[in-house]
Amino acid sequence: MKCTDRMSRMFRFLLLALALGLAAPAFAQQGTPRGVVSAEEMEAATIRQGGIIDGRTTIPDPQSGNLIQPVGKSWRDFHNQTLAWVGGVAVLGMLAILVAFYMTRGRIRIEAGASNRTITRFNLLERANHWMVAGSFIVLALSGLNLTFGRHILLPVIGPEAFTAISLWGKIAHNYLSFPFTLGLVVMLLLWVKDNIPNARDLEWIKQGGGLIGHGHPRAGRFNAGQKGVFWLTILGGGLVAASGYVLIFPFFGTDIGEVQLAHIIHSLLSVLMIAAMMAHIYIGSVGMEGAFDAMGSGEVDLNWAKEHHSLWVEQELAKGQGSVPGSAKVAGAD
Amino acid sequence: MLIKRSDGRAAKQRLASAYQGLSSGGMDRRGFLKQAGVGAAGLAAMSTLAPRMAQASGAATGVINHQIPVQRIKNICTHCSVGCTVTAEVQNGVWVGQEPTWESPINRGTHCAKGASVRELVHGDRRIKFPMKLVGGQWQRITWDVAMAEIAEKLMQVRQASGPDSVFWLGSAKFSNEGAYLYRKLAAMWGTNNVDHQARICHSTTVAGVANTWGYGAMTNSYNDIRNSKTMIIMGGNPAEAHPVSLQHILVGKEQNRAHLIVVDPRYTRTAAHATEYVRLRPGTDIPLVWGMLHHIFANNWEDREFIRQRVYGMEEIRAEVAKWTPAEVERVTGVPEAQVKGMAQKFATEKPATLIWCMGITQKTVGTANVRALSILLLATGNVGVEGTGANIFRGHCNVQGATDFGLDVTTLPGYYGLDENAWRHWSRVWDVSYESMVARFDNPAIMATPGIPTTRYFDAVTLPKSEVQQRDNLKAMMVFGHGANTVTRMPEAVKGLEALELLVVADPHPTTFAVLANRREGTYLLPIATQFECDGSRTSSNRSIQWGARVVAPIFESRTDYKVMHDLTAALDRAATRRSMTVRFHEAMWKKIEIRNGEPVAESVLREINLGSLSTGYSGVSPERLKLHMEHQDKFDLVTLRATPDAPDSIKGDFYGLPWPCWGTPEMRHPGTHILYNTNLHVKEGGGTFRARFGVERNGQTLLAEGSYSKGSEIQDGYPEFTVAVLRRLGWFDELTAAEKAQIERQGGAASWATDLSAGIIRVAMEHGCVPYGNAKARAVAWNLPDPVPVHREPIYTARPDLIAQYPTLPDRRGFRLPHLGVSVQNRSAGLVRDFPIILTSGRLVEYEGGGEETRSNKWLAELQQDMFVEINPRDAAARNIRDGAWVWVRGPENNSRARVKALVTERVGQGVAFMPFHFAGWFQGVDQRSKYPAGTDPIVLGESVNAVTGYGYDPVTFMQEAKVGLCQIAAA
Amino acid sequence: MARMKFLCDADRCIECNACVTACKNEHEVPWGINRRRVVTINDGKPGERSISMACMHCTDAPCAAVCPVSCFYTTADAVVLHDKDLCIGCGYCFYACPFGAPQYPRVGNFGGRGKMDKCTYCAGGPQQDNTLVEYTQYGSNRLAEGKLPLCAEMCSTKALLAGDGDMIATIYRERVAKRGYGSGAWGWRTAYREGVGA
Repeated sequence: MKCTDRMSRMFRFLLLALALGLAAPAFAQQGTPRGVVSAEEMEAATIRQGGIIDGRTTIPDPQSGNLIQPVGKSWRDFHNQTLAWVGGVAVLGMLAILVAFYMTRGRIRIEAGASNRTITRFNLLERANHWMVAGSFIVLALSGLNLTFGRHILLPVIGPEAFTAISLWGKIAHNYLSFPFTLGLVVMLLLWVKDNIPNARDLEWIKQGGGLIGHGHPRAGRFNAGQKGVFWLTILGGGLVAASGYVLIFPFFGTDIGEVQLAHIIHSLLSVLMIAAMMAHIYIGSVGMEGAFDAMGSGEVDLNWAKEHHSLWVEQELAKGQGSVPGSAKVAGAD
Repeated sequence: MLIKRSDGRAAKQRLASAYQGLSSGGMDRRGFLKQAGVGAAGLAAMSTLAPRMAQASGAATGVINHQIPVQRIKNICTHCSVGCTVTAEVQNGVWVGQEPTWESPINRGTHCAKGASVRELVHGDRRIKFPMKLVGGQWQRITWDVAMAEIAEKLMQVRQASGPDSVFWLGSAKFSNEGAYLYRKLAAMWGTNNVDHQARICHSTTVAGVANTWGYGAMTNSYNDIRNSKTMIIMGGNPAEAHPVSLQHILVGKEQNRAHLIVVDPRYTRTAAHATEYVRLRPGTDIPLVWGMLHHIFANNWEDREFIRQRVYGMEEIRAEVAKWTPAEVERVTGVPEAQVKGMAQKFATEKPATLIWCMGITQKTVGTANVRALSILLLATGNVGVEGTGANIFRGHCNVQGATDFGLDVTTLPGYYGLDENAWRHWSRVWDVSYESMVARFDNPAIMATPGIPTTRYFDAVTLPKSEVQQRDNLKAMMVFGHGANTVTRMPEAVKGLEALELLVVADPHPTTFAVLANRREGTYLLPIATQFECDGSRTSSNRSIQWGARVVAPIFESRTDYKVMHDLTAALDRAATRRSMTVRFHEAMWKKIEIRNGEPVAESVLREINLGSLSTGYSGVSPERLKLHMEHQDKFDLVTLRATPDAPDSIKGDFYGLPWPCWGTPEMRHPGTHILYNTNLHVKEGGGTFRARFGVERNGQTLLAEGSYSKGSEIQDGYPEFTVAVLRRLGWFDELTAAEKAQIERQGGAASWATDLSAGIIRVAMEHGCVPYGNAKARAVAWNLPDPVPVHREPIYTARPDLIAQYPTLPDRRGFRLPHLGVSVQNRSAGLVRDFPIILTSGRLVEYEGGGEETRSNKWLAELQQDMFVEINPRDAAARNIRDGAWVWVRGPENNSRARVKALVTERVGQGVAFMPFHFAGWFQGVDQRSKYPAGTDPIVLGESVNAVTGYGYDPVTFMQEAKVGLCQIAAA
Repeated sequence: MARMKFLCDADRCIECNACVTACKNEHEVPWGINRRRVVTINDGKPGERSISMACMHCTDAPCAAVCPVSCFYTTADAVVLHDKDLCIGCGYCFYACPFGAPQYPRVGNFGGRGKMDKCTYCAGGPQQDNTLVEYTQYGSNRLAEGKLPLCAEMCSTKALLAGDGDMIATIYRERVAKRGYGSGAWGWRTAYREGVGA
């Protein structure tokens, strides 16, 4: 009981073709002369033009009406070639960049040295939420990468049974952790969106290369343009990854094979890009910069660090507090 | 056409070597496992930590222990009439596997969805497991003894108060031949002709139509023989779904002969998809189309003049009627263009051999018998009868509907089509070894003994009509239902009323059936668990008249009992009840007098021997259980096309046709081979040859009814001759060729026996010695003067979408029949007003997954999964006009009783505009209400749905009371 | 070495679903899992064809190519099988499969997929031949008994052919030559990268 919607199929195929970066000919209405049917011709046309040869079955599973979907081959090529390359290049490339950066730039120190006075940067809710997202993300990322690369890297080392056990737990974790991850994204958006609205200062910050290149410290509010980038990448990218992921968790609930394939393509491509970006985020938030980790660790950052990186924010905070802030004082409103 | 088991050894070796790791191809299991061993042993243990997930296969009944031998038992598929052999693999009394039966010449290993899933029937956890009765509307478990005693008590009470005709004995096409025969005998012993079965609603009109044309009410050729045809017309049938294995023969015939396969149907069916030509006609206009074809045939002299001259009576009257059906009028009435009609006619008449295949699209009509007659006449006019590749290939519905018909589960006859007159009763009384007078005493009166009973299509009318309208002592009060559904009969809202008014309703069936839940009964209702034919020995007759022996695969499951045992126990219980009520009538002794009872159960073989003795008229007399078992054993020794035993066959079956298709003349010792093709004059009668039957006298209006110059091969009488009697033998001077023993038997019978009543079969033997067919050599009747329409004429359906045609082609006037009133024009005249509100023609038919009422198949999980919703097929234009989407719920409303059915829409071009189709297998919802809770716990079929017959209306064939199920009116609206 | 294939002669297939229930019967495949199914294209119109479809046991099987845990293997008869003990039910094989062959039991929460199930060409799985454990995981192993897949053996019109690819292609070509028509071997171009040559 399935209607063939050629327009939507065409749309999907184009998306797929775009995703694959293929120069595919536009999908044309299949012209089958009435009465004469040739498997060879229909299949060749479907292979050439994409789409699905489908019909009616009595089984209530709408997927069962698909007789032949050669597009599966495109998905296979994506998964085994495109994704492997994009993912490999993104992850390993980012690793290489970070190593190179570390080698050349080393750890970014607090120029003025530690002041031994701290200022509250993130309250407990913010930190807890961050770590919920971060923790989920790491497991999601690793279990996700495992599905693409594990059979080549891990399987030969630990053997199939153990690899299956790991992958199965990974799959379950991947499915379940999607929920805290998504929840965290929503909370994150509510908590931080107002400090992440791009403004003119961000252009300046970008122009100065965020201070990473050279030693200047462009002025920044609570979040600098780089952090805003991470924020929006997390919210938008993560949101899309989550949305496409839910399509995959609930396969064929209102979607068909083409849409599920497309969801997987979006999900996996965005994911590897996000993984690469998050590697940079993790780097700069930990070994890459002195004093940065405290922001999400204890929530209390050194005042000098804060002044160097978020001078405008420190000024605001100090203005709010009408003077110096004692190390242990809480900022009212946690703003 | 696949690589057979003979290649198995090689395959095994191939696989074995692969498993030894010698393969160079893909990775074998060992290699795969070896690769799996790469991992460190310690880590491998992690796999035990992996969360467990459900495995593919559940608790399996299909596990074969390969260490112990497997018993292979052959039985016959219990669904359609093709007669596919089922090979069961049994271990420890459990049916563990089903294998193809390559050697069966009928199915050659193959099955359809139903046949391939029959193993489930004897595991089915939705079967009735023990006897039950309704107490205050609740099902309560009882023992068999209690059930039998209470049922017998109630039956005797009804008998005492209202007479034997107040009990309706509804039997089944699912009985074995022995079961069907015993059931008819039981009704006779009870003293009523109110005994019927499914043939009433599938091919009763076929039987009446063809028997009135040329003698016997059966398929003339066989499924296999269709391989010889050069032109096949399938009219009103969808064998691809109803008889899938028959398509094997049809399609191979089509391919090998490059034959024409013309499908005539209002619906573009799965069969039509394989046709060389598809003809869409308006439902209910078959006769105009056939007459339209004959119009072209006569106009172009394509008819077979010699055949007509020698073997057909009354063709001139047909010409006169056909002359009215000009191409223009045919197109006006049927909607089929002239060129298409002419093309069909030319092919059918000139590209011979040509065969006609029909099913319920022809028969389930108010003009069913006339339809069949018209088709038969088309065959006669073109000389397409009695030769290989020709004939009326009537595909019957159930696995033993042919046999059950042959054994008189019918309101008009005793077993073997002997009828109900005194001669018939005397004949069967002799067979049963009881006196004729004792049989008369069992009936209300001698007249009713010879009066046809009430058919299953009208049982509820006989319950609810005023007593004065029912021509017997009283209304129906009790009903015994063996193996029958309530949803295959039209006018279900009326049936509900009838069922509620019954004092006793007994349903004996593997499944509860619609009878158990349809009405709101609270008391007086019993469910008896009956074994399927797989749990029972017995023979069954396929549509092609081949008789096959099915051996019991497993013992009856749960508390199920066989039909034989239940009937045996019932007669004993009836006797006890009679004693208690001080009634003089007794049943048990007379019923089982000559039948062997072993462990309290009648033995099937001994029942068949009694059948052999009495069923001379249809030639069941030569069909001994021993011969049938030999055929099953040596199935591989029969030719695929001729069905004849091959030269290398053992002597015990040499020369036989497979399954001894009846008539198999005389005694088993005479070794008649059976008759593959009826009326085939090219063979000696002893080799299965035949002529048209002399059944209707020798002369009419000065014209001979006997054949002229045509006779079967080797006949000493080289012209027509009447049926053989003692008198005829004497006149021919052949009387003294009877042996002394034969003469003595005839003398004991009163000395005036005919071939059909001579229990010694001596008359048959002598006739055959002279190359003569015992039943005579006559002409087929193009004009059947004993029918309401001696020459078939078109009559508009009783609910017609073309009221403009009523005046010209009205249905028959109101009349009476089968003890009941029968309305015609008074109902039809309402059509004109109805068609505005009910503009869509409603027709019905089969799905491949289900059968009949569907209770059994809808309980089979392997089948039920494939059709989970009742639906109505509606044309895209009709759907668009009503805002109906594919898969959406709709209400289908019928023109009577404010009836309605909630079903899913299947928007498809299979049906033309203005026509809707619904399958008839569904039940368990009624007028939008789910009745699942009314089934006894655990016996509800997996799939329930509305019945098409909840919205069908009035309409009956005048000859058989066949219901009009194929042309009705309805309206469809989004739900 | 035999190269096992399926070939559905759509000019014979009548959608009787014998292949489907034969499969269910032989392997006791549970409700909701359809190792084989019949698809009708151009339903109700001229050109209507029904095709019985299951795993085609492809050359260079896409399922095996994309499986994250490498649970597929190909037997010497070119039958593509998988190890359910290794499968994690990720669904990738279904995305890649051109024929919709992989099936998943619904287990656990929110559409969680159990271990994949598909047509085994009646060749069981990696367990010991014709053992209970093999049967409950994969169904019966007819190939090991020297029999062919039951779906094809029971096909009502002998539309579904199973056996060595060259042999069934020959049978099919002879049929087409005899009758003069044939819509070809559905899925062959995709599965085997060759036509049937008719």
